[in-house]
Amino acid sequence: MTSTTGTTTTARQDAAARTLPVPPRASKNTQSRRTRRTGWLMLAPALLHTVIWIAIPVAATVVLSFTDYSVFDRPQWIGLANYTEIWNDEVFRKATLNTVIYTFFTVPFSMGIAVVIAVFLHTKLRGRSIYRAAFFLPQVTATVAIAMVWLWMYNPQYGIVNAFLSFIGVPGKAWLADPSFALGAVIVVGIWQGIGLKMLIYLAALQNMDESLYEAASIDGASPVQQFFRITLPLLKPATFFVFVVSVIAAFQVFDLVYVLTDGGPANATTMMTYEVYRSAFQNFRMGMACAQSVVLFMFLIVLTVINRRLTGGDET
Amino acid sequence: MRTTRRYVGSGTALALATCLALAACGGSSGSEGADGEITLLTPIFEGSTGKAVLEGELIPQFEKENPGITVNVDYTDYGSLNEKLTTSIASGLVPDVMMMGVGWIEGFADKGVLADLGDYDLSESSLSETMNEQVLQAGEWDGKLYAVPTMLDTRYGIARKDLLAEAGFDSPPSTWEELRDYAKALTKRDAKGKLTQAGLDVMTLDPRQMFEVFLFSNGGTLFNEDGTAPAFNSPEGVEALQYVVDLVRKDKVEDIGYSSSDADTYPVINGRAAMMVGHNDYWVKAQASNPEVAEQLVPFMIHGTQDAMFQGGTLVTVANSSPNKDAAVALLEFLTDADASLAANEQRGNVPALEDLLASDYVTSNTAVQFAMENLDNAHPEGGVPAWLEIRGDFEAAIQAALLGQKTPQEALDGLAASAQEAMDR
Repeated sequence: MTSTTGTTTTARQDAAARTLPVPPRASKNTQSRRTRRTGWLMLAPALLHTVIWIAIPVAATVVLSFTDYSVFDRPQWIGLANYTEIWNDEVFRKATLNTVIYTFFTVPFSMGIAVVIAVFLHTKLRGRSIYRAAFFLPQVTATVAIAMVWLWMYNPQYGIVNAFLSFIGVPGKAWLADPSFALGAVIVVGIWQGIGLKMLIYLAALQNMDESLYEAASIDGASPVQQFFRITLPLLKPATFFVFVVSVIAAFQVFDLVYVLTDGGPANATTMMTYEVYRSAFQNFRMGMACAQSVVLFMFLIVLTVINRRLTGGDET
Repeated sequence: MRTTRRYVGSGTALALATCLALAACGGSSGSEGADGEITLLTPIFEGSTGKAVLEGELIPQFEKENPGITVNVDYTDYGSLNEKLTTSIASGLVPDVMMMGVGWIEGFADKGVLADLGDYDLSESSLSETMNEQVLQAGEWDGKLYAVPTMLDTRYGIARKDLLAEAGFDSPPSTWEELRDYAKALTKRDAKGKLTQAGLDVMTLDPRQMFEVFLFSNGGTLFNEDGTAPAFNSPEGVEALQYVVDLVRKDKVEDIGYSSSDADTYPVINGRAAMMVGHNDYWVKAQASNPEVAEQLVPFMIHGTQDAMFQGGTLVTVANSSPNKDAAVALLEFLTDADASLAANEQRGNVPALEDLLASDYVTSNTAVQFAMENLDNAHPEGGVPAWLEIRGDFEAAIQAALLGQKTPQEALDGLAASAQEAMDR
């Protein structure tokens, strides 16, 4: 009996031993499910945020762009009528041209200035933290406050710009009231305001560069200018792509600066695409038209980003 | 679509609330028994001073007189009023009581946002005993009363007596011809040709309002009588704009950019202009910055073919969707009565709508306000068609294009009229 019992026990143990690998397999599946669930849970806030605040509004904007919607009445489907009106709208054409001109000047100029400043502030300059903070300050200052200061600076009677010109014997101008100068005056503020963030991104990219490249270049007799054009700029390519895309989007979305400085005037000389979207929505109560104008703006940004990616090779070095 | 359903839902709630309200008060006027929590949206009373007047004095007084009604205040300014209204309508959360400007009423009443005050025994005939009929027009649409004015903003001519006397004029100009002669004579430039004193400042006032002063004074109107077509490009309108363009471009009584609507100080107050087309708040501004100059400022009516002044203002309305309409009407009546109206007008240096207040200390001590009240028969409100809010935004660019010489007055106004007609037909 004993031996029988012992045999039985051994057999059970063997059987148990044979079944031992099974539980870990089941546990792995559970763990895999848990991992997936945890992944989804961790993704959920970002996903919800994207769906609620980006995907749904974008889809709603596209749908409403084909309607006549004034918030007072139900949206009425009108097909491409809003887009036809935009195509024939002289003011929106002017706004589009102004936006393109504003972007064409503010983005490259501020990027160029920013990269030069970043290179200087990357050197062992005395008090460079103060300079970095000073250059970044416009970025963290409310645009309305910046615009108010520039409004004063551009004042034809009391402004510092005309005072300086008068000092050197040049007659002052009505910078924001004369259509010949108004857009240029807004562009100057845009360039000045945009330098800080770009400089910060370039500075971060510079700090990640391999110093040995510069040491090797110095040993080979490369001048600082040659090092800048042959090493620094090529290595800044991924940062440049990022800065360019972000800057173009920001430039196309310029609104508060124009709203405070010129209100789109004089005679629509400084009106921008976003300003016309605002006017359609909140002055004219034409939400459908505002949505169509937003879609046009969106298409501009998509096309420009794709072109930029093709030209620069994207964010690859 | 969600908005639409909410809109329908709020419409159903409105119908229910209306039925309950009517059942409760038997369809009669008044605030008797009104209670509940209501929201007031106001573009005036802004800033700490305004808030002190509204929430420190007026609202506590109202809540004391109307126990059971609680008022929540939502502040904005005229620049952001449309954004507030648009978003509140789209979300179905329309404030119970809304203060709006002249020209706003037609559009919102036409879309059914505002309650017909006739249902609460408020009508033009009942209010005309206390208010000028011209002033009441701004609150009407399609023969019904939707809003009651609490304050008026007027625009007319303002001259510096001392600067006029220096040039040999003993009184302000009384016709367009005199205005031009005075303006030319009062314009001063330095040796380099830089303008040091504008003969007539037309740049500080909003271009649309400035043009309207001349349009009305030339016998013109914004729209035809039945409100189906623009009329501001009529010969009277073109002549009015041509007159202003000539003042600036031919007579050079003021340079482009010499002043703007952003100017903190009116040019007539700091001596940079001898005359201006301006707002009635010049008196309080002058009193605050230079009381001696205030005594030198004299208002005058711009006269082309008739005396006329532009009249804007703030009106109080009740939302059609308000579930507490009785309480909302009670607040409207309170805000438009003499005490509240006086407090609001004093705070901004504006013109009370109630004729009785002409004899008040505030009015008799304020030359600008007194002049406006005495001339309300010559007041012309803007607006008149539901699409006005869409049309008004295009005026500035058109007037500026004419002043800059980019377009002739006829071209500028015809272009504006074409887009206005499209908006009206939409």
